[in-house]
Amino acid sequence: MPRARGITIACLVLLTGAALLQTGCQKTEYLRRTDSTNTLYVGVVESSFPVAFMPWLSRDGIAPTIASMLYSTLFSYDDETGGFLPGLARDWCYVDAQGAPIVTESGGIDYARVETEGVKVLRNPQTGKNERYLTVRIELDPHARWSDGHPVTAEDVYYTFDIARNNYLSNHAGALAWTADLLHLYSNTGQLQLQGVFTYNHGAADLGYPIAEAERDLVVYVHVRGVLGAVTSLFTTILILPHHLWEPVVSRQNQLNSRSPDAHMQHLYQNPVGSGPYVLDAAASGPSQIVLRRNELYHQTREDSSPLYTVETLRLVLYQEINVAIYAVMQGHIDMLSAGLSPNYVKLFEGRDDLFLSIAEGVFTQTLVFNVNPVASEQTPLRRLLSDARVRRAIALAIDTDMLIRLVANGAATRMSAGLIAESLTDFCNPSADILHGEHAARLEEANDLLDQVAPQRDAQGYRLLEGERVTFNVLGHPGEMELVAFLEIQLQKIGIKIRYQAKGNSPETTHLWTSRFDMTLHGVIFSLANVDIMLNAHFVALGRTSNYGRLIEPELAAAIEEMRSTLNLHRKFALLYDLQPVIAGLFYKVPLYTPQIISIARTDRYTGYEVVPGEVVFNSTNLQRIQRVESPGDAEPSADDGAVSRCEPGERQ
Amino acid sequence: MKRSYVIKRVLYALFIFVVVLTLNFFIPRLGVGDPAERYYPPKGAMSDIEYEIIKQFTREQYGFDVSTFQQYIRYVQGLFRFDLGTSLRSGSPKVVELIGKRLPWTLVLSVTTLLISLVIGLSFGTLAAWKRGRWQDSVLLNASTISVALPGFFIALMMSFYLGFELELFPAYTNPNMVADFDWSKEAIMVVLNNAALPIMSMALGGIVGYSQSTRNSVIAVTNEDFVITARAKGLSETTVLYKHVLRNALLPLTTSIGMSVSGLIGGAIIIEQVFNWQGMGTLFLEANSTNDYPLMMGIMLFLSAFAILANLVTELFYVVLDPRVTVGEKR
Repeated sequence: MPRARGITIACLVLLTGAALLQTGCQKTEYLRRTDSTNTLYVGVVESSFPVAFMPWLSRDGIAPTIASMLYSTLFSYDDETGGFLPGLARDWCYVDAQGAPIVTESGGIDYARVETEGVKVLRNPQTGKNERYLTVRIELDPHARWSDGHPVTAEDVYYTFDIARNNYLSNHAGALAWTADLLHLYSNTGQLQLQGVFTYNHGAADLGYPIAEAERDLVVYVHVRGVLGAVTSLFTTILILPHHLWEPVVSRQNQLNSRSPDAHMQHLYQNPVGSGPYVLDAAASGPSQIVLRRNELYHQTREDSSPLYTVETLRLVLYQEINVAIYAVMQGHIDMLSAGLSPNYVKLFEGRDDLFLSIAEGVFTQTLVFNVNPVASEQTPLRRLLSDARVRRAIALAIDTDMLIRLVANGAATRMSAGLIAESLTDFCNPSADILHGEHAARLEEANDLLDQVAPQRDAQGYRLLEGERVTFNVLGHPGEMELVAFLEIQLQKIGIKIRYQAKGNSPETTHLWTSRFDMTLHGVIFSLANVDIMLNAHFVALGRTSNYGRLIEPELAAAIEEMRSTLNLHRKFALLYDLQPVIAGLFYKVPLYTPQIISIARTDRYTGYEVVPGEVVFNSTNLQRIQRVESPGDAEPSADDGAVSRCEPGERQ
Repeated sequence: MKRSYVIKRVLYALFIFVVVLTLNFFIPRLGVGDPAERYYPPKGAMSDIEYEIIKQFTREQYGFDVSTFQQYIRYVQGLFRFDLGTSLRSGSPKVVELIGKRLPWTLVLSVTTLLISLVIGLSFGTLAAWKRGRWQDSVLLNASTISVALPGFFIALMMSFYLGFELELFPAYTNPNMVADFDWSKEAIMVVLNNAALPIMSMALGGIVGYSQSTRNSVIAVTNEDFVITARAKGLSETTVLYKHVLRNALLPLTTSIGMSVSGLIGGAIIIEQVFNWQGMGTLFLEANSTNDYPLMMGIMLFLSAFAILANLVTELFYVVLDPRVTVGEKR
């Protein structure tokens, strides 16, 4: 190779390097820093953004949050009061056979009369059995509008509920589950067998349900099986669809969640018309960014008629690596993160006056679940040990939750009663279910006494032996839970039980949990008034593909849960719920470890007025209604009132 | 190049592809019981009748309503139409479309990285070999050790934090509008180059060190050959000996490692793409993995395998062009 060619190559190298540096080194301006508009930049840590915005199909990651901003439910659930806040609907009540509201003089639901006057019976054509049911009257807000200007009507509600129940037009399992207590039944061939939703145009008059001409577009009657759970999921889970857009598109050939939607349906998926507080700016959105603009037609406003949501534009920016996203907030590339953070990051934010650190009360409780009843093929002598309540009790007693909270959760967690209902639900939390407390040394002694009755022999290392084999259990968990398992290993060593971490993998339900191939597993549970009807049954009664992974069979508990689910007397329901907690605690089947707090951050140089909302990260609808844009970049320094808060507990504001 | 050799290599590559295709299809179906089970939603509050309907729909949707062999035939037939199936994500896009959208962005990173690594690596490696035992050689050896010790994602994160966030010399992560706004204008191309700088540097670092090391070893081996000694004895200049005799022969073994790099071009940037939010094939695979999107995962795996097989085939054929003495598998 001649010398000249060598020089050419060297030049090429230099040129390539120089070009890379030159193009790469161009000053990057991050849009947020110069954006003077009322635009909130939100970092989202996900693998990808949704590309379709059909609300019923938006189930993973950030998709449900986006769907809830574009669409609305009839009501939202108020955890503090157990009541419903207005959404697309402004009022509801149970009615008697003549359609007269069953309410007290003050206008509240008269639950005592609901049981005597509201309960009716009909024959279920699918099961052939009689069903007790209640009729609910729903009154829509006359100001509610779709983002294309059409009014939201009773026909939209009818269409949405109807299609949720119709397997031939929508085989969407989630919708079917949410509406399971709605007595609106279709046959396997897609024929309506029993109507359970009624409007002015759909048979309300035939059943004697009164609807005045003036409110023909605003009133819906529905038949439901339960007193609380049924209306809760109908009211607060199902995002209502605009029937004037969807009805012409959805057919037997083109199902709502068809895997091959035609061009028209695909257009609706990608250009949603909703009734929520924001609308999608499809032109400005892409795979790495989603832009939502305030819906100027949104029906809920402040008393002075100004928009309820103070933020005009939401710019959601995708990050795939959590550390990069955190640095992006700290360096001012975005205003906040939508993700909850590990307590390990808290130290990183200390002393940062420009950050609002939200530490909110958590909603899910980490529990240790035992496989108490594996299928026959998965039975082992050691697993049989776990079916002994004394062994489970001993393990529960040996777990030092205070230590776990201090060392594993870095203090950012709270204790949970063994009854698994949060103390914050003061009206329903039964204190007698909190049986796992007291001095740890005494508990260890009690635990060892219990185990001495079952497996008294020990090996040289102090571990207990069963049929000559060391008592060893694997605990299924994710890599992020290895530290927790390591601490549990240390704690259970004190009662002679060896435990080891076992990776859950990608699809733990099918590989381990539903097939009984595990000893113990870590499992987050959430029980609230809004979900007890479904979740208590799923966690403690129903076998197979449910959350009752350890296949617990306790007939008395199952009967009590069924009574709680089926009673149409709300007071009785709450009383049963109260009584269930000590029973659940005494089974030592799902042992609570701790309830992690929810940690999130936001910058305060462009927006102020954040509030810590229990159970939520800082990116939530409450804050979108509260926060105010700082007038100019010169106001970026936080005021004394803003407090340069480095830690905000629930109830605190900035 | 002998035609029989070419035909043999092509047939062998086709055989490998069929094996990969078959494994790719059957491995996810090896589990006992209902193969559609992983696609069923939780039963929740659904009645038994409702749940059975949903299960039947699910089986039909994913083609599990026929025998496994019939499913395989359908799968192969689909491949002839370039149909790798339908993704489970919202909107049910075709796997081929998703790959088609992401592939060019990965190629921007990978091809640029390969070229830069190759040019700089060959130059450094030759220099280190020629200056064997001197400081240039020591620098390369130490760099190799450090490069092996530091994982790629760590280098990428450090570059993002210090060169991106702290010093703001380069974009710390990809501009979210880059893909949507790309229109082949000069400005758009500059934005791509601007955003690609850190990912390329992160990826190229390992490649440069790797190629340098291979080139160095290869050049040193060739330097001791008789024909090099003869060339020097003839009185040729050191530069002529290096470029005309040493480097040309030293490059031959490198062809294999370059071929292997090409075969890993598309799938090799998974972590780097994730750190820098680069919307390429790597992030597509991670998305598929995190959402249990098996059709998409299968499609990507098959595509990567096919690309690797093709790259290896081309390398083998190219090897023969470079060195006519190569007659792999043929009787002399």
